[in-house]
Amino acid sequence: MSVRHSLLAILAERPAHGYGLKSRFERDTAGIWPLNVGQVYTTLARLERDGLVVPRDDGGGARQEWRITKPGRAALAAWYDAPVAGDPPERDELAIKILLAVATRSADAGRILQNQRTATMRRLQEYTRHRREADPERELPWILLLDAFTLKAEAEIKWLDRCEARLGRRSG
Amino acid sequence: MSEVDGQAIEPQPPILSFEDAGRVHGTGPKAVRALGPVRIDVRAGEFVAVMGPSGSGKSTLLSLAGALDQPTDGTVRVQGWDLSTLSAGARAALRRRTIGFVFQDLNLLPGLTALENVALPLELDGCPLREAREEALGSLERVQMDRLAHRFPDDLSGGEQQRVAVARAFVGPRALMLADEPTGALDSVTGEMVMRLLRKQCDAGRTVVLVTHDASHASWADRVLFLKDGLVVDETRTPSASSTATPLPDA
Ligand SMILES: Nc1ncnc2c1ncn2[C@@H]1O[C@H](COP(=O)(O)OP(=O)(O)OP(=O)(O)O)[C@@H](O)[C@H]1O
Ligand SMILES: [Mg+2]
Repeated sequence: MSVRHSLLAILAERPAHGYGLKSRFERDTAGIWPLNVGQVYTTLARLERDGLVVPRDDGGGARQEWRITKPGRAALAAWYDAPVAGDPPERDELAIKILLAVATRSADAGRILQNQRTATMRRLQEYTRHRREADPERELPWILLLDAFTLKAEAEIKWLDRCEARLGRRSG
Repeated sequence: MSEVDGQAIEPQPPILSFEDAGRVHGTGPKAVRALGPVRIDVRAGEFVAVMGPSGSGKSTLLSLAGALDQPTDGTVRVQGWDLSTLSAGARAALRRRTIGFVFQDLNLLPGLTALENVALPLELDGCPLREAREEALGSLERVQMDRLAHRFPDDLSGGEQQRVAVARAFVGPRALMLADEPTGALDSVTGEMVMRLLRKQCDAGRTVVLVTHDASHASWADRVLFLKDGLVVDETRTPSASSTATPLPDA
């Protein structure tokens, strides 16, 4: 996750101080990725060094407000314009676990698939319950995130089913 | 949950139970085991989803639960009744009064309007026509289909037909709904609408057993059973509503 660009995105709307950036980020992303305020200050210092933000003339200390610069807006636009690279995928512990269990026969792959499917299904049930309870007006960021998590969990279950079918065909 | 008019009631026996029940087709070396033996209890008001690969016995399970087929071993009970001890007439009455079905296709009779389709099980049960229609209209209202009550199935979209089928399954006092892939042909939004309806029915005290291949639909259930080769290999429950855990994305 890019803290740099997240802060630039918020500052592009209006100037803010460090703590304001933290709470605004957490609100807009449904509180799923807490930011510590120290991380916000170090990131602001680097953004200032790179000329992407400047302190506002008035104020100072913790109440110091920050403003985005022209190069800051350009860096933000470039970030939005570049699609997120999904290739090669991040290292995927589940995939590695299953591939190694199959290849090395060091564990019962069928059992691992089954356990994982139950656990993922339980997670999916929890997402669905949260989505049912969420207020579609006030909690839009939360609902959008739940949709993303739900679809990922669903894809994982489909993949586990497919692994099971392929392994079954091989042994049967 | 086990409260009626604010009055706590005794824990009830399961509305549906499989007591080491199974189904074998054929005999001798050609015998095929379609299901079991399995041991499953479904409580009144519970929403249970059944998942599993093709041929794992899901439809067989629903047929036994709905008294459309008989177990070759063990016992299947609905509301405590051992289905095998009931006469054919009593079984048919149980199917009409207590159990509603939604199948993937084969849903509505094309020659009858939505309203007539929903009223049919009541009429077959001897309910006077006017009463049956009134009751049916109420059931259509619950799935927001009363507006289209006089359309024929062919003039309804797939999702609307499914909602009519759900209304029919729950018309009258029927307590147990068995649904085999009711969202098969639906897009995800309509599929979710059907799940919302099923969920609502359960929250109102009815019981649903849903067969589905779709994990996100199964996630509306209180409990998900996984079948494989005719056996229940795993099951989940939702964390209780009081759980405050927030789901986090995988790191
Ligand atoms: N009348 C029958 N005679 C012989 N075998 C049968 C009969 N009915 C079902 N079977 C077998 O029993 C097994 C379970 O069938 P069932 O229809 O319950 O599967 P299912 O889980 O519903 O599959 P699907 O997801 O494809 O609908 C299958 O292997 C099927 O071939
Ligand atoms: Mg089937």
